Amino acid sequence: MAAPDERKRRLSRPALAGGALLAVGMLAVAVMTHSLNDYLLTLACFAGLHVMLAASLQLTNGFTGLFSLGHPGFMMVGGYLAAVFTYPVRRKSYMMPELPDFIATQQWDLPPALLLGGVGAALMALVVGFPVLRLRGHYLAVATLGFIIVVRVLINNMDGYTRGGLGLNGLPLLTNLWWVFGWTALTVFICWRIKHSSLGRAMMAIRENEMAAQCMGIRPVRTKLTAFVIGAFFAGVAGVLWTHLVTVITPGSFSIMLAFTLVAMLVIGGTGSLAGAVIAALGLSLLAEVLKPLEQTFDAYGLSQILIALGLILVLIFRPKGFFGSREPSLLTGPGTQERYETVAQTGRPSQQGRT
Amino acid sequence: MSGYLTQQLINGLTLGSMYALVAIGFSMIYGIIRLINFAHGDIVMIGAFVTVGLVTATGLPWPLIALGVMITGALAGITIDTVAFRPLRGAPQVTGFITSLAVSVLLQNLGILLLTAQPRNFHFPEVMRQRLPVGQATLSIIDLSIVITALVLMAALVFLVKRTRLGMAMRATAENPQVARLMGININRAILAAFAIGSALAAVSGLMWGGKYGQIDPLLGFLPGLKAFVAAVIGGVGSIPGAMLGGYLLGLAEVLFVGLLPAEYSSYRDAFVFGLLIVVLLVLPNGLLGRSVEERA
Amino acid sequence: MLEVVGLQVERGRTHVLKGLDLAVGAGEIVALIGGNGAGKTTTLMTLSGLIKPRAGEIRYTPPGGRTAVDLTRIAAETIVRQGIVHCPEGRQIFTSLSVAENLRIGAYLRSDRAQVAADLARVYGIFPILAERRQLPAGNLSGGEQMMLALGRALMARPQLMLLDEPSLGLAPQAVDQIFETLAAINREGTTLLLVEQNASMALELANRAYVLETGSIALSGSARQLADDPEVRRAYLGVA
Repeated sequence: MAAPDERKRRLSRPALAGGALLAVGMLAVAVMTHSLNDYLLTLACFAGLHVMLAASLQLTNGFTGLFSLGHPGFMMVGGYLAAVFTYPVRRKSYMMPELPDFIATQQWDLPPALLLGGVGAALMALVVGFPVLRLRGHYLAVATLGFIIVVRVLINNMDGYTRGGLGLNGLPLLTNLWWVFGWTALTVFICWRIKHSSLGRAMMAIRENEMAAQCMGIRPVRTKLTAFVIGAFFAGVAGVLWTHLVTVITPGSFSIMLAFTLVAMLVIGGTGSLAGAVIAALGLSLLAEVLKPLEQTFDAYGLSQILIALGLILVLIFRPKGFFGSREPSLLTGPGTQERYETVAQTGRPSQQGRT
Repeated sequence: MSGYLTQQLINGLTLGSMYALVAIGFSMIYGIIRLINFAHGDIVMIGAFVTVGLVTATGLPWPLIALGVMITGALAGITIDTVAFRPLRGAPQVTGFITSLAVSVLLQNLGILLLTAQPRNFHFPEVMRQRLPVGQATLSIIDLSIVITALVLMAALVFLVKRTRLGMAMRATAENPQVARLMGININRAILAAFAIGSALAAVSGLMWGGKYGQIDPLLGFLPGLKAFVAAVIGGVGSIPGAMLGGYLLGLAEVLFVGLLPAEYSSYRDAFVFGLLIVVLLVLPNGLLGRSVEERA
Repeated sequence: MLEVVGLQVERGRTHVLKGLDLAVGAGEIVALIGGNGAGKTTTLMTLSGLIKPRAGEIRYTPPGGRTAVDLTRIAAETIVRQGIVHCPEGRQIFTSLSVAENLRIGAYLRSDRAQVAADLARVYGIFPILAERRQLPAGNLSGGEQMMLALGRALMARPQLMLLDEPSLGLAPQAVDQIFETLAAINREGTTLLLVEQNASMALELANRAYVLETGSIALSGSARQLADDPEVRRAYLGVA
């Protein structure tokens, strides 16, 4: 192993680069908050939320090789859970008649709501993940799709709490770009630390070869569940932020289409690469917003989804590992780490049957 | 048997017929290239729209329309395989699944782009709505035609797979593509045949779906597609008889769930179906008639 | 009949065949022996077109004075048409098809119905047990019976040249004897055989000529008798001190 002083030098470059990125991001947020109109600020928030969602989905889909489509379901859980607590008290009895008194009298601010949404989604992931994570490959994917539908059906039917299919409107506008940026940065940072920790290496070992990982003392069930639950926590928080940005939530707010868009971001960016996910999420959000006026002018609704789908198919055919593979830009990693992930990514292929 | 129960059984058989026709395609395609083709449900949508197009444009008799719908469905399946899936042969299974997801999104949004998201009305001729008494229940001519057409098509399929050269080539390719090539079988053609046949059956079930429920829109294929997948899993993905059995079982189970439980539970039917999926995947990973232990659980 | 020149094959990142040369004359039985990983199976898979080589040529001259073709340019499913049949390692019969279907699929490309029926009768004549079990799923057969089915399936294509990969693998000694007797009979009726075997003594006993394959190229060749007497071969492959 490296001597302590050398080790310190290794860590300093990524730390510096990360700090620089954070500073640039904060500067950008400050500039945007002062110069952009509300509409553009909202778009910036959506882009940030997409980054947060894509980065947290990397935990399962990218690092651990579990193909989950469940993120929108966890966003729904987080969003509704928080909405019940942040909703203006005076309209609660009318909108949510079955709410018990001790909740009906509450009107929370954003921070506790975020925490509640995240923890609620994480608990849901624990309950759902325990049976479902035993499934592999596309079976897990379909099961998590089913999870989205089940959540939607439940919310539709719990109309005493959720107002059913009508959804809840008139939620307080609590989210702003600073909140989104803060959580996005936190999500990316935590996922980054996980990737470069022993937990992350255990995840990647499971992705490459579960049986071999087990032979080395990694506990697959526990590791997979950890990835799933942490990812769901951030999805839940993102759901809360999203809900209090658009101030409306309905059972259709977070759909399978969103799950598809997130998967497209991961695949295009590189399944396993956080930098790839961040760049692809920003890029695709930008693309969708650029295309939106076109869709409206030419009455061509669906165009952006078509382009994303086509792009995804082309990437899968011609660059199946996405633009970054499992790697990160070398500026952000210490020297030496790069090769490690590269070999992992390369040896993966033959053993990947049924995995990402 | 009470009239109510008979009625529910009739409804279940009708629904099951449509599920079975779609599930067969899932199983054939999975059986031959181990691909869960998520875009398969959207062929149902294509079938429904082609029906409306053919009816308004040509006014042909219904059997010919059905034939036209099946041919269009087959062509759609062939195109999808050639363009999207063939370049990815040999890639990990999940890559194929993601691709099929992309194809599904593509088809749905093409539908929205070209046909708008507005639902359209779709009507069979009035005679089809007549109801025949069956004991204390009644059976509409639509239901009767759906069940009979489905059974005839399935019988034809079984004959094709079991008794013809093409069927033998498809079964051989499904079991061992490499050795199938050593026999002189063009496996790409066998795979295309599976896509064509499966998609033709899905398209014709689109015709049935539209006729039965009276309204069609570009997202119509999603739920029947997903449920047909559940049916295929129940029967054992990869097994054609399994897909048929699974389709009917799911149709009956769904209708009985709604029919026998108190009314306030009926809106939970989709949750019930996917709950069932997860249970079957975990408890009976090979389904009722599935063969080998694949990577399921 | 068959002439292989400078064949180089890569599988994944390993260079398996590094310039392989061999020839098979019409009517011969040629054995290819060698240790694990020497590239025997790869050789056969390249000959039948399942793997495409990086370099080299495979010239095949069908009997009857037709012109030579380069097999490296033809797809596997088309090579069968040329009269070459590959009987793969581990039998690889179609277990979900019936015994009769397995035999009929061997004649997949043939349209001469009467001839096919006659060949079917011939195969049932050689292996009566297959006739008895013709309606059973092939997966129900024993190992020896499955090998008979694999041979029968290959015969149904009326091959000029048969490529056999480890026909003795995993079989009881009695079954091995029966299979090798059948192979000799098939050859007497005019089919050329290229035989890959771990069981070198059996192979050398049956073959006219043989090649020893070591790490991707031919190390030694000669008549089967010569090789069987070669001290190196005896020590390394025949287990004689």
